Order: sequence, then structure tokens, then C-alpha cells
Amino acid sequence: MVSTRQIRRDAKRLYRACLVQGRLDPDRVRQAMDLVLSEKPRGYLRLLVHFQRLVKLDLQRRTAQVESAVVLGDDLRSQLGEKVHQRYGPGLFWEYRVQPELIAGLRLRVGSDVYDASVLGRLRELAESFE
Amino acid sequence: MSQLLQEIEARIAGAKTAARRQNVGVVREVGDGVVRIEGLDDAMLNEMLDFGNGVMGIALNLEETEVGAILLGDFTSVREGHEVRTTGKVLQVPVGKALLGRVVDVLGRPLDGKGPIQADTFYPVEKIAPGIIKRRSVNQPVQTGIMAIDAMIPIGRGQRELIIGDRSTGKTTIAIDTIINNARLNRAAEQAGDTSYRPLYCIYVAIGQKQSSIARIISVLEEHGAMPYTIVVVASASDAATNQYLAPFAGCAMGEWFMDNGMDALIVYDDLSKHAVAYRQVSLVLKRPSGREAYPGDIFYLHSRLLERAARLNENYGNGSLTALPIIETQLGDVSAYIPTNVISITDGQIYLETDLFYQGVRPAISVGLSVSRVGSSAQIKAMKQVAARIKGELAQFRELAAFAQFGSDLDAVTQAKIERGKRIVEVFKQEQYRPIPVEIQVAVLWTVQNGFMDDVPVERIKEFQAKLVDYLTTRKADLLARILREKALSDASVAELKAAVSDFKQTWH
Repeated sequence: MVSTRQIRRDAKRLYRACLVQGRLDPDRVRQAMDLVLSEKPRGYLRLLVHFQRLVKLDLQRRTAQVESAVVLGDDLRSQLGEKVHQRYGPGLFWEYRVQPELIAGLRLRVGSDVYDASVLGRLRELAESFE
Repeated sequence: MSQLLQEIEARIAGAKTAARRQNVGVVREVGDGVVRIEGLDDAMLNEMLDFGNGVMGIALNLEETEVGAILLGDFTSVREGHEVRTTGKVLQVPVGKALLGRVVDVLGRPLDGKGPIQADTFYPVEKIAPGIIKRRSVNQPVQTGIMAIDAMIPIGRGQRELIIGDRSTGKTTIAIDTIINNARLNRAAEQAGDTSYRPLYCIYVAIGQKQSSIARIISVLEEHGAMPYTIVVVASASDAATNQYLAPFAGCAMGEWFMDNGMDALIVYDDLSKHAVAYRQVSLVLKRPSGREAYPGDIFYLHSRLLERAARLNENYGNGSLTALPIIETQLGDVSAYIPTNVISITDGQIYLETDLFYQGVRPAISVGLSVSRVGSSAQIKAMKQVAARIKGELAQFRELAAFAQFGSDLDAVTQAKIERGKRIVEVFKQEQYRPIPVEIQVAVLWTVQNGFMDDVPVERIKEFQAKLVDYLTTRKADLLARILREKALSDASVAELKAAVSDFKQTWH
């Protein structure tokens, strides 16, 4: 039985091997998966689970999620993309969602940074200030 | 009116509505008051985390892909997938005189139903201890009102004196007696308008104790009028281990405020054994590597950084002090266990309480041989030094000789006299709980026993003799006692008067 620590270490090595210029390369990820599944080293399923988690966290860090009360127009999207690009650099994946419960405004999330400019967020802040 | 409307319009137009950046994460795992969170890239060590619905947490483990945090308060509503936000603040508690007389939890929230606490100053719970430049050596006494301690194991303001012993040997009683005595001194100085007296404020931190025990302690403090000078911080046995881990640090922050503002404070940690157990639980759930007895590797640092915060500051830094009385419960008198040896090595001395002595009726059950105060003697008042200098040695000698005497061998007159004197000293040091003795009376009684005035009193009547002598001195020789207190020394004139007074008393006593 391979120890969890060893599995984590191997998963991290595999993940690092998939980075090209500091960014995750999808082709390399697929190649790594194929290699592990064909070689089937001891504890390979646990290894792949850890590897998947590292890839998921990497993708989360590089994903910009935009939630808005209504569908955003193209010009607003491009303005937003430009501003986010200035701060976080290129290569972000974009996800747009419509969330009517925001009432108005939008909420942007890049990695663990959240910019909440929605009415719902403001109301929540106001409510917390009274607690 | 139109001008006002224009002004409002201009203010609205000028109002910024920029979105604030927040750092968020998602709860991945929750259990036993500990959570593991994904995200939170910018979290700081010991930063407060907001879980929503009024639930707060503290980031303790910053790992590569996740953050380990402990939860404060009712955490049953926290679920996997909940969003967590950083607050940019480290854990703080309210401090100041507004807390005196109150019973609070680890976050400084009132538990006594006496309404909100009006504190405008907050101190971080974790703080670096004062450095060597700020400190000075101990030079003022903490009067515990317990004769055995004030005479043989004196405590100075700014000292850390450990109270150690098995269960039910009177550890908490010593701490409570000290609080009651200092409240009495504070009140007396207030009533007399004595501005030169430096009041000693007390903080009692209850860690992992039964709620009933805590309620009893609070009622004792109230009964003896000690609450107006005392803050009680409660993390009872029913509180989460995380609260028990934080309680001494929160209490210490409250005490530090007094020290930083040129005042004197005393803090009682009751007890650090349970604190170590709570920290072990938190660490194990956080999956930190465990060491001896499954305690984490930093258990020594946990207690040393807490107790190092007790200090005596020099005049340039306000002349304040924080005295610490940590309590440790031993198992079957084993002082060489892991946590007791750690805390013994950190503190400036220990008061060791023995179960055997306790059941023999020697209360407080202080073991003279194992108890020591490494710095307190320099803070003892001169009068006490004059009468108590030889007492510890005499008592230790008595214990050895008494062990010999048990064999029934013939003893020479000198040895007999030492044993007889020792028996009387032991009797004199017996003291009821919650009945602290003023220092001037302690001096007079010790002078009496030291100078052989009790040698002809039967051992079983020593307490009766002592009580009547104290009664005689307080009613008829109040001036003499007041002079001893004022001069803080036994002058030749005082000694002569004391001698005459005790001789007079002995003529009437039978």
C-alpha cells in the first residue's frame, strides 16, 4: 500500500510535468492520464484522484466566473474582459451565468477573489453592518 | 430648499460604487469544530474568517492547496460547499475597565446577562510578549493573604507562579483567595483615598471546567465583593475545544491592557492541563503531526508564548505588570509528566499541593520542600522578610526530623525543641478557605511563633491561641498593626511594642 503522502507527492510531480511556462497544458494532462492508465502503477486510482484535484484547483484559479442579473451585452463583456486581463493577465477561461436573485449588477470571481457589485451583495453587506 | 436638493444630488453623483475585492473559499470538510477550506489564497495566519450567519473562524493551517481553520461559536450550521470570506483582521477581544465585574466568553461577549459591554478598545488575542528592553525585575509583592505563601513562597507583581497538584487539593482555592484578598486591599485603598496604592485587577480564566464549578466560583467572588475588580473568562467543558484553546489568550489580552496602561493585573489560568488537551484535540483534527503523548510539537511553545506575556514593565513603559498564576493538575502526584514539566520550566516557581497533606488536615496543603518562588523574595516587604527568613528552613528541618521521630528513638532536647516548634508552625500556617489574612497580622503572628511565645501552648490549641491573639491585636493594638503596615518593616520600637502586647495577651490567655 502506497502511503497517502507518497501519492500526493507523485500527483504533484505529475501536475508539475503538465505545466508549460507556468500554465497547465491540456494536451500534456491527457498524455499524463493515458500514461498512468496504461502503466497502472501501485495506487494509480488514488494518484489520479489527487491529480484531478490539482487540475481542478488550477482551472479554478484561471477561471473568471461572471454572474449577472440579466444577460450581459457584448460591449460590456469586452470591457470587463479588458479590465480583468489588466489585473490577472491573459489566458483566463470565461464563464457567464445569469442569476436573477442578484436583482441587479454583477458578481465576478477569479480564483478566490470575488468582486461583488450586485444589489444582493450590497443588501447582505448592509444587513451584516447592523448585526 | 432647492439648494439642499442640489447638494443631495451632488453627493449622490459623487458617491463611489466600486466593488470591494474579497477573498473567498469553499468549505471542503467540516468536523469537530475544524474546517478545511479550498481557495482563500490571501488568508493570513490567525486571520478571522467569516462563515456567514454570525459564525466566525480562525485560519490556523495555511497549506499549499487548502486552509485549515477552527470555528468559533455555534458551527452546526456550517456545511460542505459554504462560502467563507477573509476579514483582514486577526482575532481581537474587547479590553478595558468596562469588562471588570463581567463574565465573558472567549470573544469577550457577555455571559452574565448584565447587558452589552461598552468597550471601545480591542486587543489581538495573539501578541508578541514584551521584550527585554521594556522589562524590569519584580519588586512589588502580590499579597495572596495565604500566610504560607506570603511567608515562604512569595509572589511578585509580574511573576509567573505555577499552582500544581492533584485533583481536589485546593489549587483553585489558592487562586480565588488571592483574588479575594486583592479585592479587599483595592477596596480598602479606595475607601481610604490612598492614591499611592496600586490596585491589582484580576482575570480568572476557566478552561474546560464544569459549568457548576464556574457558577460556584463566581458566586464566591460576588459574595466576597471581589467581582468589581475581576473579569471572568469562561470556556467551559461544554464549549468547543477551539474555545478552550483560545480562552487563556483572550484573558491574557484583557490583562495586557491593564499592563500597557500602567496598571497591575493578575491572571489565573485554571487550568493549563485541560488547555493542553484542548489544543491536542484541535491539532489532531487539523492533522498536524503528533509527538509525545499525541501532543503536537509546539505544545511547549503554546504555553511559553502565553506565559511570557506576563511581565513587569519598567518606568519608561508605564510601570505596569501582569502576574500569571497558571494551574496544572497532576495525575497521582506525578510532577514529571510531560505538561507539568513543561510549565514548571517556563514559570518562575511553583506551589506544589500534596494530597497526603490535604487529607491530614494541613490546608492549604502546600509541600514546602517542592514549592519554590525563584524571584518573589525580592518583592517581599521587609517586615515579612524579618520574620519569615528562617521559617522555610525550620519547616523543612521539622519534616525530616519528624520522619525520624516516628521510629521512636530517644531524641535530644534540641531536636525535640525543633520538632515542637515545627508542629506549631504547621498549625499556624493552617488557614480556612476564602479567609485571607492581612499582611500585618501575618507578620505579628509569625513573629510570635518565631520568638517562642507559642512554645508553651499545646499544639491542639495553637489555632485557638492564634485566633484570640489576632482578635486582641486588632481590637487593642490597631495602631501597632497600622504602623507595621505603613512602615512595611519591624522597627525596634514596633518589636518592643509587639513583645509587650503578646506578653500581656499571654497573661490573660488560658
